Amino acid sequence: MNKVITINLGGNAYQLEEGGYDALRAYLEVATAQLQGNPDREEILSDIEGAIAEKFRALLASHKTVVETKEVAAVLTEMGPIAVEAGETADADASHAGVPKSASGSGAAGEGKHTAGSGGVPKRLYRIQEGAMIAGVCNGIAAYVNIDPTLVRLAFVVLTMLWGSGLLVYVVMAIVVPEARSPEEKAAASGFPATAQEFIRRAKEGYYEAMKGFPDRRSRREWKRRFKREMRAHTDQWRYNWHCYWAEHAPVHPGMGFMLPVLSILQGAAMVIWVCALISLLATGALFGLMLPANVPVWIAALLLLVAYGILVGPLKVARRLCYRSLGQPRWTWSFVFLLDAVVWLAVVAALLWLAVHFFPELRDAVQSLPALAHQAADDIQTWWNKK
Amino acid sequence: MSVNEKFSAIRKGLLEFLVLQIIAAEKVYAADILKQLSATEFATQEGTLYPLLSRLRREGLLDYEWKESEAGPPRKYYQLTAKGKEQLRETLEYWGQINGTVKKFGQK
Repeated sequence: MNKVITINLGGNAYQLEEGGYDALRAYLEVATAQLQGNPDREEILSDIEGAIAEKFRALLASHKTVVETKEVAAVLTEMGPIAVEAGETADADASHAGVPKSASGSGAAGEGKHTAGSGGVPKRLYRIQEGAMIAGVCNGIAAYVNIDPTLVRLAFVVLTMLWGSGLLVYVVMAIVVPEARSPEEKAAASGFPATAQEFIRRAKEGYYEAMKGFPDRRSRREWKRRFKREMRAHTDQWRYNWHCYWAEHAPVHPGMGFMLPVLSILQGAAMVIWVCALISLLATGALFGLMLPANVPVWIAALLLLVAYGILVGPLKVARRLCYRSLGQPRWTWSFVFLLDAVVWLAVVAALLWLAVHFFPELRDAVQSLPALAHQAADDIQTWWNKK
Repeated sequence: MSVNEKFSAIRKGLLEFLVLQIIAAEKVYAADILKQLSATEFATQEGTLYPLLSRLRREGLLDYEWKESEAGPPRKYYQLTAKGKEQLRETLEYWGQINGTVKKFGQK
């Protein structure tokens, strides 16, 4: 979930994700610096803002009220760097803005594809403490390869769940990889120029400055209230993304809500089967007595099992969302169905696990031998890796 | 200097001429100009176009008026001034001459 910031572009309010807001701020700051000494600076800037606003408007719809960070980046790339017209050079200010002089007039044929933020700073892997969960390793990797930190974290969690290797890698990296401390290092961590980072920092301060600017407590409270409301609006947006589009639009039957426990039973059963399959795979090297092909290592089979489980459970999850929707507005039905659902789910999982352990003694043995198996799996990976 | 860089210098010089020509044909706003250029070698971006338009206006070659649009806030529609039309005519003439010269030498 990302924070949303509301801005005013050409007299209209737009909601941007925080990262997008930062990028836009940086772009406009660089533009302002580039147009230093241009007599029409204010006018050009307002034209630019108007054009950005128009592009944002094209992205929004009644279901979509927030401009995402990547969309802002795409719009800014489309806008291109601000060209300095001949005879109106920005002199010292252009270099101050972190944009090399030679690039300043090169927008002519669309070859100037950088946005304000990508001034060609060499990248390096650092740990980034801002917004970190533990030591900033995942955050740093995410900035380095330019993806969402959540994805990197998820990958580490999955690795850890499988054989604990994710944890090991994390600890090693937390020790080995340096932390980005100076502004230059922070810039190198994401490839953003240090000056842009500085703009971003200043932009962020704007929120607090705006708060200070309110004369009395009532208007300050009003500001806070509005801010919170925007946050809530964004949460709804996030939920919408989370739902599948067609789960939102497929027809529903009012009584479908009470299908939830049935779905829970199915989902619980799928999970138990999955866990049993995983245990049997790790314990015997075979899937419920079915031998694996000779050249497939056990850990690949386990990974495939995980994928298969995901595919199997996917439609169940969508059906679940359909059920949620069919519950409609009154909140008490919601809580009742949820409670019922949770109880049924727990009961099914517990019962099936108990049955499994009770009737298959191998399974009980397997659970007890799991720690030894983890070591074996690690060795397995190592030999496979060495063979490569 | 690569061939592409040389071409880019030529394009840069001609962009102004092309923009004047587009505006001469009809009253347009900035996004129209970009759209018309987008399919050509002269495809450009707002970051280049707005500073160029503002300079041309300052030089007295073009002017704009605000017009309401069906969706969203009013837009600036650009049109050539008398001076702009005159300069476009001169440039076209000169362009014809250059073109002729280039072709003439090519035939020898």
